[in-house]
Amino acid sequence: MVKRWLNRYFARKQLLGENALTQRYLVIDLELTGLDPKQHEIVSIAWVLIDNQCIKLSQAQHAINKDVRHLEQSPVYHGIAQQDVATGQNLTAILAALSSHFADAILVFHNATLDWGFLKQAFQAKGVAAHPKLILDTFHIEKKRLHQQGHEIGLDDLTLSACRARYGLPHYGCHHALTDAMATAELLLAQCHQISRGQQLKLAALL
Amino acid sequence: MNNEQQEVAQFVLAQMPFSDLDSSATDYFVKHLDVIYLTRENQTQWLQSASPKLFLIRSGLYDLVDAKGDVITRLAQGDYFGFPSLLTGEAIKNRLEVQKEGIVHMLNQDAFDYLRREYKPFEQYFVRAHANRLLSSHYKSQNDSWSERKISELMSRKAVTLSPDASIRQAAKKMKEHGVSSIMVTEYERLVGVVTDRDLRNRVLADEVDPLQAVSSIMSAKPKFIFENNRVFSALHLMLKHNIHHLPVLDEHHKALGMITSTDLLRQQKSDPVQLIGRIYKAHSVTDLKRYAAEVPELLRSFSHNIDDISLIGKLLSGLTDALTSRLIYLFQEEHGAAPTSFSFICFGSQAREEQTLHSDQDNGLLLPDDLSEQHQDYFRRMGEFVCEQLVECGIRRCPGNIMASSELCRMSISDWCDKFFTWIKSPTPQAMLNCKIFFDLRFIEGSTALYTAFCEQLTRISRNELFYAAMATDIKSNSVPIGLFNQFKLEKDAKQHKYIDLKKRGVVIINDIVRLYALKAGIRRANTQERLDALLKHDLLNNHDVYNLKDCWRFLTQLRLRTQINEEGLPSNCINPDKLNSLERHQLKEAFYLLKLAQQAAAFKFARGSL
Repeated sequence: MVKRWLNRYFARKQLLGENALTQRYLVIDLELTGLDPKQHEIVSIAWVLIDNQCIKLSQAQHAINKDVRHLEQSPVYHGIAQQDVATGQNLTAILAALSSHFADAILVFHNATLDWGFLKQAFQAKGVAAHPKLILDTFHIEKKRLHQQGHEIGLDDLTLSACRARYGLPHYGCHHALTDAMATAELLLAQCHQISRGQQLKLAALL
Repeated sequence: MNNEQQEVAQFVLAQMPFSDLDSSATDYFVKHLDVIYLTRENQTQWLQSASPKLFLIRSGLYDLVDAKGDVITRLAQGDYFGFPSLLTGEAIKNRLEVQKEGIVHMLNQDAFDYLRREYKPFEQYFVRAHANRLLSSHYKSQNDSWSERKISELMSRKAVTLSPDASIRQAAKKMKEHGVSSIMVTEYERLVGVVTDRDLRNRVLADEVDPLQAVSSIMSAKPKFIFENNRVFSALHLMLKHNIHHLPVLDEHHKALGMITSTDLLRQQKSDPVQLIGRIYKAHSVTDLKRYAAEVPELLRSFSHNIDDISLIGKLLSGLTDALTSRLIYLFQEEHGAAPTSFSFICFGSQAREEQTLHSDQDNGLLLPDDLSEQHQDYFRRMGEFVCEQLVECGIRRCPGNIMASSELCRMSISDWCDKFFTWIKSPTPQAMLNCKIFFDLRFIEGSTALYTAFCEQLTRISRNELFYAAMATDIKSNSVPIGLFNQFKLEKDAKQHKYIDLKKRGVVIINDIVRLYALKAGIRRANTQERLDALLKHDLLNNHDVYNLKDCWRFLTQLRLRTQINEEGLPSNCINPDKLNSLERHQLKEAFYLLKLAQQAAAFKFARGSL
């Protein structure tokens, strides 16, 4: 047990010294029925892959959880209605497909606390093993960057669209899990560029 | 899954050519996209010749720069780049200068090729964009002229120098020895002054200065100079600005290399054809004229190899014909006495448009005052006959349609000419339209400009007739551009089953017709198509972009047309077999025809709306 923990510790330490620009990233976004992992559910999961600073749309995925019971939030917001749910997949299968990327990709969320909280809960509940080697959070990266620049951070300054606007990235109107995953991936690329500015960028700098 | 990439799909669908395509094309495109954040630092990672890609800009600002560092175009949201390499398989020549980094969509060769195969408009769009870019870059590269050459290429003579303590007489002797009109005064190989013939006259002889005095006392000290690596243009500029005729040439260490004179520069400007025209204007007999005219074909052959701009050849030949005509009129008056009244000798058709070829025939006429006595009419009859006959002798064929000053129908008073034009305008029969195409391109050659101007004014007035414009536009529309739906060439066949495209009849003529119509409407009194187009830029009949397109098409077709004169298959003259062109030229030709078709439709719409 300790040995496994130590192994993971050293692997992580080594990983943090690697070049952030050549990594493979799995950028994930969830649609949820609420904010509490204990009582709310995952409506859909979307992910896109970044390889060598290049977002591969051919490998993007969006899967609806067909077992979702309560579509409590407005379906207009998700763009997912009850009839879409019927066309979805079983959550265990979705999680298995998602976790198959964990071994060779670093996870990225915008606000990992919420989304990873739900996912961890789901992985445990469905008994799917999931050990991400590293989790990055564009929300956190932005927060740290603003802090370092001595900015006061307001409540709305760290939303996905506010962060994107800061980099001059295009405004995306719709809030679909796949669009948000894409939006997060583009934000990560812009952040990497802004922080590295042509210099070497170690993964540790993104934590 | 694809339709779930809503933001990307929406954006792509709003762009050409996807906005014109089935949504399945957008789906395919989106599904195969890579998305990058393009920055100054990482651009070389994406622009690699080994794996060319189509780039579509989503955000940011980039300048496309060619190998020489000139900005080709600025790229922003919705613009594509990278397609030339995908289309031609050639290495990437251009690079980007990132003004503002942003999101760029990227498609690889396989996906691009799939879309080209499956969606014809997709193919067309990029081929056209490529051809457009080539046309415009081709335009830029035309500016290589003699004035861009380096001084060192022009300078032949070695430096003639002497030291400042040498006497004035020694300077004069040395100049005589070397047969030069100026000498450089140097000290330790560095230039300190210049003495010219003119200095010897003005500062020595006229002022009774002792020729044994040191040359330094009369030289122009600290003279202007130029470096061997400067352009000829700079030398010309310096000379004109300071009104000097001798310019010392130095190397980069200021060592005197030689002298360049205004005569050296003039010699550069004066090409053989210009000299020939000069000789024609000075000829004293018809025999001389004929001898000079006989030199034209050979001259043209040697000349056409070393000029960039083919349209010059038409100008040159027309210039020669003008000169011959003028001189014949002069010689006629020498022999038969000066003309009893004012007159204008004018030309029509290709000579007026300055598009003559070696095979062009005569199209000319005489414009005379009203109410001439019979005696005077007889004088001009003889003049017309003399000029036309002698032009034939000089190798310019008789006009099969008898549009010549020797014919009564083309030797008329202003009023009669106006009546003639008026008849055509009033009843635009096919024959009348044909006449209009020839006679409305007219140019003054010799005689009274006042008479000619008066005639043009009347002509402008009577041609202002909407029904006439409509008839011309309809007539233009009836001449089909040889390009079909889906951008395929429409070929003609001759008796021997050769397939070809007639570049003159189906291309240049249509442009000329369209431009003539607009020029008439705008009241532009010029006959040359390029000059008419230039003048049209100042009117708002046609937008400038369309004018430039027509100019480009005209140039391209004219250029290609010249090649047909050395054609190998025995096709009719001015015809070309598109299979013999390389793929780039084929694309350009298609593009030219496509633009022409649009211009034709636009003209028909503008002028003939009511009658179509």
